[in-house]
Amino acid sequence: MLNVLMLGIGQCGNRILDAVNRESFGGSSKLSKYYSRQKFPSRVETLAINTAVNDLKELKFTAAKDRLHVPNLHGVGANRSLGKQGFWDNREMIMEEIEKRGDFDIAFVMTSSSGGTGSSFTPLIIHELKERYKNITVIAVMVLPFREEGSIYLQNAAFSMRDIMEVQSDGIILVDNQYLKRLSGDIKTAYDRINEMVAERLLFLIESLDSEMLSVTDLGDFKTVMRGGLGMGTLGFYESDKKTASLTSAIEGSLKPGGLLYPADVYEDAARAMIIIQGSRESLDVDEITKSVEKLSSKIGQVFKGIVIKKGRPKILSVFTLGQVPDLEMLYAQAAQAIQDEKSRKTRAKKQLDDAFAYIEDLEEVY
Amino acid sequence: MRPVYLVLSVVVVLLVSSIPLALMGAAASDEADNIDGEIVTRDFSFRAGEGVRIGDYRVELLSVVSVIDGLVEVRVYKRASQFEDWRVMQDYRDVNFDGGKDRGGLTLTVVEIFDIDTVRMRAAYRSDYGYPQKYVTERALAPRNLPELKVFTTVDKTTVSTGDELKVTITVTNAGNDTARDVVIQDSPPLPQFRYLAGYPPKVKNQLQPGESDIVVYSMVAAAEGSVELAGTAARYSDSKATLYSATSQPVNIEIRPQRRPDLAFEVEAPGPIELGGEGAINVTIKNDGEAAAQRVEVKMGLRSGMDGLEFSGGGLDRSFFEIAPGDVERYSATVRGSRSGSYVVDLSASYRADGEMMQEDTSFQVSVLEREYKYLYYLPIVPVLIIGIWLYRRYKEYKY
Repeated sequence: MLNVLMLGIGQCGNRILDAVNRESFGGSSKLSKYYSRQKFPSRVETLAINTAVNDLKELKFTAAKDRLHVPNLHGVGANRSLGKQGFWDNREMIMEEIEKRGDFDIAFVMTSSSGGTGSSFTPLIIHELKERYKNITVIAVMVLPFREEGSIYLQNAAFSMRDIMEVQSDGIILVDNQYLKRLSGDIKTAYDRINEMVAERLLFLIESLDSEMLSVTDLGDFKTVMRGGLGMGTLGFYESDKKTASLTSAIEGSLKPGGLLYPADVYEDAARAMIIIQGSRESLDVDEITKSVEKLSSKIGQVFKGIVIKKGRPKILSVFTLGQVPDLEMLYAQAAQAIQDEKSRKTRAKKQLDDAFAYIEDLEEVY
Repeated sequence: MRPVYLVLSVVVVLLVSSIPLALMGAAASDEADNIDGEIVTRDFSFRAGEGVRIGDYRVELLSVVSVIDGLVEVRVYKRASQFEDWRVMQDYRDVNFDGGKDRGGLTLTVVEIFDIDTVRMRAAYRSDYGYPQKYVTERALAPRNLPELKVFTTVDKTTVSTGDELKVTITVTNAGNDTARDVVIQDSPPLPQFRYLAGYPPKVKNQLQPGESDIVVYSMVAAAEGSVELAGTAARYSDSKATLYSATSQPVNIEIRPQRRPDLAFEVEAPGPIELGGEGAINVTIKNDGEAAAQRVEVKMGLRSGMDGLEFSGGGLDRSFFEIAPGDVERYSATVRGSRSGSYVVDLSASYRADGEMMQEDTSFQVSVLEREYKYLYYLPIVPVLIIGIWLYRRYKEYKY
């Protein structure tokens, strides 16, 4: 059985974690926590970490003991420097809280790349986890901001991504809010839906890695996939409407942009992939699976496939890393531009202020 | 002398003729012109002791000798002359007085005898005698000695029940001053509502002296219910002149009700629900609402099947009473103990005699024995509520940050 640590850092990470916990109650009812029990496929420990206590209070499905407030900070105000300082000040407390939850094989650190706490804490926590747990696989689940959300968010995203790459995480699963704008409904519903999608896929992934698969894919395979390409990937998911739906179309559905969390052309951009197919025995046609996988592997090289027999409609999860991320480059370009703009605005403001103060230079208050 | 009287009588006639003779009921027949020598016929009525003037003639009714035989005793005389005649006249027969109508006298005929006092007479005479004029004779009318019976019928009770005997008393009293002869009473004919026992048909003495009474009694038994009118008893008798009389008593109404029976009624005060092992008192009241005594009353208690959950102390509810008179009330009690829970129906049956006939009165009542009460059972539903409450609260605390 896998020992899984799921950390939700910052407001966004907390909410994804809450969605994971909600998903584990097995129902979408708001009251499910009162009558149901959490059922994780493996031993899963969840912990929500935040500097803003209000964000922690908002959570509904995360037990109180699994919410860690980093004290003396009421949010870092999207300031990564402040966030890093806050982490260093509380590092032992935070790590102690994690360590008392036992040993772990894999950790998912879920966060927004653009926020304050999440973007500043995550690289440091990944570093700490890597330091303290020798054999742990740490996967960062990074949510990219809406591009128009603001220059600070963009630069935070840019720097935090770099930081994470530097601390040698075992991979980054990208979730793009921008891309998910296509979800209809109000902003809260859209966010909730994104969080649900992430939670559903992660839990499916954990379940699959921990299952006795017909065709072997395990944590090692997963690590191999995540280390391919740029070390950044995303998750695709498709759940068939009917029990008897064609597997080929289901597999292709999980690879289509509609099923992905980050916009990518899998056949063109993917470096390594893992396809996990879950379905009832009669629905799993070997030919269909083989053909679909072969089609993919002929394009991108290595494709791991895992088959899990479970009653119900066929579900496909595709995990892949990307060899090229044109969008990311664009994001960094936008970030650099934003930083430049910010800098010039600051300089302009400073100058204006200096000019203003020049009027009262050499003067004193007269009463 | 004669012309003077004639003139006087003419004057009187003229005076009187202007006054209508009320007593002359029927208009005079053969009304003729007032011409001397012409014969007129006039009717008049008069009573014994009265007289009628017709010219110089005086016609006095002495008595009605016999109404049945139509005999009337009259005295006719002529004023200032020697003529005087007593006659007993047979009705409808013309009798000539003083030579009769054709000789200047009178011809009288009794045309109707109304009663023992009153007679209607027809006189034929010369028209110049004028109209008959009534007068009271100098001789006071001697009171007639007549019998007069009074009949009274009485019954000893006017409201009876079938089977009851009642006595009818007929009292015949001669309230007159002459002997009543040939007294015969005729009671109401036999009625189907009665059985006549003795003394019927009733008979009284043949003759009753003035002031004498005779009482006859007969008895009968009411046989059928209903309202019966006992017709008045008629007494027929005659006087010394064989004149027939009758007197009838007032009819009597008799109400015959159904036969009197005893009617026992139960009133049972059953105890309310008694607790298991607890006791309750049963009060039984037997009342005779009927009109006859109930005899040899036996009250028996019966328990319907499966009623062993009740235990009666003091011999249960069985009782015997020699007699319960009408209107009387008998009361008794028993104690019942509930040994098993349930609802039990107890039957009470009283059998009794009335006039040799067996009668029965039944009643039943219910006794409930409660189940043992387990009060803590009421608290049991709280337990799951409490558990759920604690569960919810724990969950709430677990997720409350």
